[in-house]
Amino acid sequence: MKVITVCGMGLGTSLMLLMEVQSIAAKHGFDVSGEATDLGSALGRKCDFFVASSEIASQLASKNALIVGIKNIIDKNEIENKIVPVMQAIADKRGE
Amino acid sequence: MLLLNGIVQFLSEPAFILGLVALVGLMVLRKSVSEVVTGTLKTVLGFLIFTAGAGIIVNALIPFSTMFTAAFHLTGIVAEDNSLVAAVQISLGTVTASIMVCSFLINVFLARVTRYKYIFLTGHMMFSFAGTMAIVLDLMKISGWKAILIGSVIEGVSMVLFPALSQSSVRKVMNTDEANADTVAVGFVPNTDTVAFGSVAKTDTVAFGSVAKTDTVAFGFWGSSWISLWGWVGGKFGNKSQSTEDMKVPKSLGFLKDMAILMSIVMLVLYVVTTFFVKAADMAKISGGQNPYLFSVIQALTFTAGILVLLQGVRMFLAEIVPAFKGISEKIVPGAIPALDVPVFYGYAPIAVTIGFLATLFGSLLVIPFSRWLPVTVLPSVIGLFFMGGAVGVFGNARGGRRGAIIGGILFGITWTLMIAFAYPLINLSKYNISGLWFASPDAIIVAVVMRLVGKLFGV
Repeated sequence: MKVITVCGMGLGTSLMLLMEVQSIAAKHGFDVSGEATDLGSALGRKCDFFVASSEIASQLASKNALIVGIKNIIDKNEIENKIVPVMQAIADKRGE
Repeated sequence: MLLLNGIVQFLSEPAFILGLVALVGLMVLRKSVSEVVTGTLKTVLGFLIFTAGAGIIVNALIPFSTMFTAAFHLTGIVAEDNSLVAAVQISLGTVTASIMVCSFLINVFLARVTRYKYIFLTGHMMFSFAGTMAIVLDLMKISGWKAILIGSVIEGVSMVLFPALSQSSVRKVMNTDEANADTVAVGFVPNTDTVAFGSVAKTDTVAFGSVAKTDTVAFGFWGSSWISLWGWVGGKFGNKSQSTEDMKVPKSLGFLKDMAILMSIVMLVLYVVTTFFVKAADMAKISGGQNPYLFSVIQALTFTAGILVLLQGVRMFLAEIVPAFKGISEKIVPGAIPALDVPVFYGYAPIAVTIGFLATLFGSLLVIPFSRWLPVTVLPSVIGLFFMGGAVGVFGNARGGRRGAIIGGILFGITWTLMIAFAYPLINLSKYNISGLWFASPDAIIVAVVMRLVGKLFGV
């Protein structure tokens, strides 16, 4: 499955989020490829789910992908608690 | 001989130096062959896109600089580090890329042997600082391995020093210092549930253990000192119990978070207003006969488009290099504290981000009418104003509530603009054929000014 992480410029925070998401995914046995990007280019991109800070997430809209908003982006527990069910749901849907 | 020559030429291409770093990093992290190949190629491509973006930006700024001078008889600059550094890569690329890599190694070494465990992981900032060092040293007639050595040591030390300087402010923002423990409930925490859990747990351990051990994150951004300073000053005028987070901000301000839109608006205003003041005959020459306003609109949007291209390039090469840096530093430095990009603090007071940005924009605009008496006119530079202004809002709010955020922001806007204006004559970029661009990061400017002044003592 594919994740796109988003922040204002798509350089710092989104890349940190991406590395965190991928390490959590690996810990739970999910195969997640991903990309970090900025808010402007995130719209219209294809992926299974987006992860961003809550303020950025509120600006995102997608018909096909789930959007996960993280209130405190350095809180690893929050990220883990929020994305594991999402990844499980995507994996279940695909029958992986 | 031919081979040696080939290797030397290969290593004088910055795109290949960074590609090599990605290659080594990906192999150290034991990635698969296909990941190593794609990662290395993407790094090289990213770097080439990055410099192409700089070309677009510089070309869109040349007519603007001419127009601005024709209209107001002043020199106008936009403060933006990434574009500036990208624009000098043809001549200073090797030194820049080498400084970036070596400064990371020095940072890891310092974090390993001293008690300051900060690992600076904001990649574009590492790159822009390395470029700043390359430029300043080049102007001081220091080049080659000497420039790489001096630049790397200064950047490596800065990567530990600046996070250390701002750490007490970071603790205030994150509520992990003792003094703040009691005010957790009245502060801005109720708005962000997860923060409350995190910070309460952290304050408990602070009481028993040493403070340093509870730090989970540091400020890895070259505006940290100036943001912490004005957040602290704002706090002196404020009242912490009146948080920005109880204020209502219209939802329609949401567009402010999209940098491309915000920058387009500001650049359009700058170009079109300037056009209005240029004599028709001069304008016809600059626009090559095209309708002046149409010309300005296209150039303003081309500038923004160039920034977007440049950022896409940076994004591509950082996506490979930063994880490698992170992986390596985690192996070498136990208990490393990552120093991260500025938005990690926005979540602690999201409304303060908007308030701080608007206050900082206002502060910087206050300086413009006085441009005649300054060495240069500093035009509203959106990226710096937004990211640093937002942070001053958060830091000011943590120490002095809404008044702290507003006063801190206005003072930051004024002082940042004045800092750039007064430092401008010390670093002349005309030799690189760059007009209309200058440095933006306060920490890097402070270091560069100190280097220039020390250099002048020794006659370089």
